Amino acid sequence: MYLLGVKEGCGEGECGACTVLMNGKPVNSCLVLAVEADGTMIRTIEGESKNGKLNPLQESFKKHHATQCGFCTPGVIMSATSLLERNQNPDEEEIKEAIEGNFCRCTGYRQIIDAIAEAATLLESEVKK
Amino acid sequence: MLNSFSYYKPKSEIEIIETLKSFGDDAKILAGGTDLLVYMKQQIAGPKVLVDIKGVPDFSKIDVDSGGNLIIGAAVTCNDVVENQYIRNHFPVLATAAKTIGSYQIRNRATVVGNICNASPAADMAGAFLVLDAVVIIATEKGNREIPIKHFFVGVKKTSLQQNEFVKAIKVPADYKDAEASYLKASRIKGHDLGTCNAAMSRSKNGKIKIAIGSCNITPVLLPDFDSNNIDLANILTTAMNSIKPIDDLRGSKEYRKHLVQVFIKRLLNGKGHSH
Ligand SMILES: Cc1cc2nc3c(=O)[nH]c(=O)nc-3n(C[C@H](O)[C@H](O)[C@H](O)COP(=O)(O)OP(=O)(O)OC[C@H]3O[C@@H](n4cnc5c(N)ncnc54)[C@H](O)[C@@H]3O)c2cc1C
Ligand code: FES
Ligand code: FES
Repeated sequence: MYLLGVKEGCGEGECGACTVLMNGKPVNSCLVLAVEADGTMIRTIEGESKNGKLNPLQESFKKHHATQCGFCTPGVIMSATSLLERNQNPDEEEIKEAIEGNFCRCTGYRQIIDAIAEAATLLESEVKK
Repeated sequence: MLNSFSYYKPKSEIEIIETLKSFGDDAKILAGGTDLLVYMKQQIAGPKVLVDIKGVPDFSKIDVDSGGNLIIGAAVTCNDVVENQYIRNHFPVLATAAKTIGSYQIRNRATVVGNICNASPAADMAGAFLVLDAVVIIATEKGNREIPIKHFFVGVKKTSLQQNEFVKAIKVPADYKDAEASYLKASRIKGHDLGTCNAAMSRSKNGKIKIAIGSCNITPVLLPDFDSNNIDLANILTTAMNSIKPIDDLRGSKEYRKHLVQVFIKRLLNGKGHSH
């Protein structure tokens, strides 16, 4: 399939680089056997942009420089996607909790938190429109 | 890397027992895999057969039986417990403890029953279940047997499960519905670390105080009951110190652990533990 977005960092559930949504919930794919995924819906970073166009969350990451080396980004985006699907109006604590399982060794997290917060505001105003 | 193994996903309790019987020591139960798959990758465990219990629909349920007891099935995840409204309302300490486990992703896979079956001295669910006087429901060849959780842990990563047995659910007695209970955990970083030490406390309606301590002995420890109408703090602290045998390791020294246990017990008795 040549889908290279999902990254393996630690392989042991610690870093979150391998995060995918399994039936809508973020999981560490390094701790899920392929046979266990049989019959489930798996969403990866590849499904997030449409026709070469980034989605609002991805745009917000770009704007806030929330990605530097980029290794953690596919996982962080999937954790954030799941957060925004279950909570349209997260506060900073809720954002931190949603990404507590995603290590980022570059950004210091501030930019990531800002990017998710702004994407939430954008999405909320879209819903209101 | 994982060594090769066969994978079975039985659809009933009886099929699980039959599969365990045919493969004996070569087989291991797979629940969320957040402990087992890590051990397999690190070559600490090398089962030839994995028996996935997530194929039995009943095991994913959180139920209340006719006696008002809470029943949590073997495939119920930590996040299922955190998000369950009945548990949050009536047994909130279970949600508090479950929420301290790993990260959000880990909690979507990790089961609360797997947490106690793994039997780590640091297991976060152990203390909460111990102070709620929970009962482990074990499926065996000859039907079910039930044992109090205080007799379930027998050593580091060792439980009293016998061959061809597995845990199908854990039961919390109705007596502890709405009882005051709380949990405290110290860890170096949130989201990725086992506890340096933890403590849980409950105060039952009939005046008993139960206190459990984790990461301070080869198993989680339940202290003898205390009388909530006549609290003798010095006696409780002495009993606690005599019941634990902490070690020095990368998460903290034994002195630090002893100190934390005393601080935690005082906070819990003063109602300063988190209740949700
Ligand atoms: C990054 C990371 C962070 C973690 N943080 C914490 C933490 O903060 N606190 C904590 O307590 N734990 C933590 N853990 C450990 C682990 O996630 C928990 O212990 C979890 O609850 C185990 O459940 P599981 O369903 O994944 O078990 P599995 O890995 O599927 O099984 C664990 C063991 O129990 C046995 N077993 C499982 N279910 C049954 C059953 N029904 N009957 C009989 N035997 C059974 C298995 O054979 C295996 O030996 C962490 C793990 C990782 C990878
Ligand atoms: S690769 Fe690090 S959590 Fe999966
Ligand atoms: S951008 Fe490099 S690890 Fe997060």
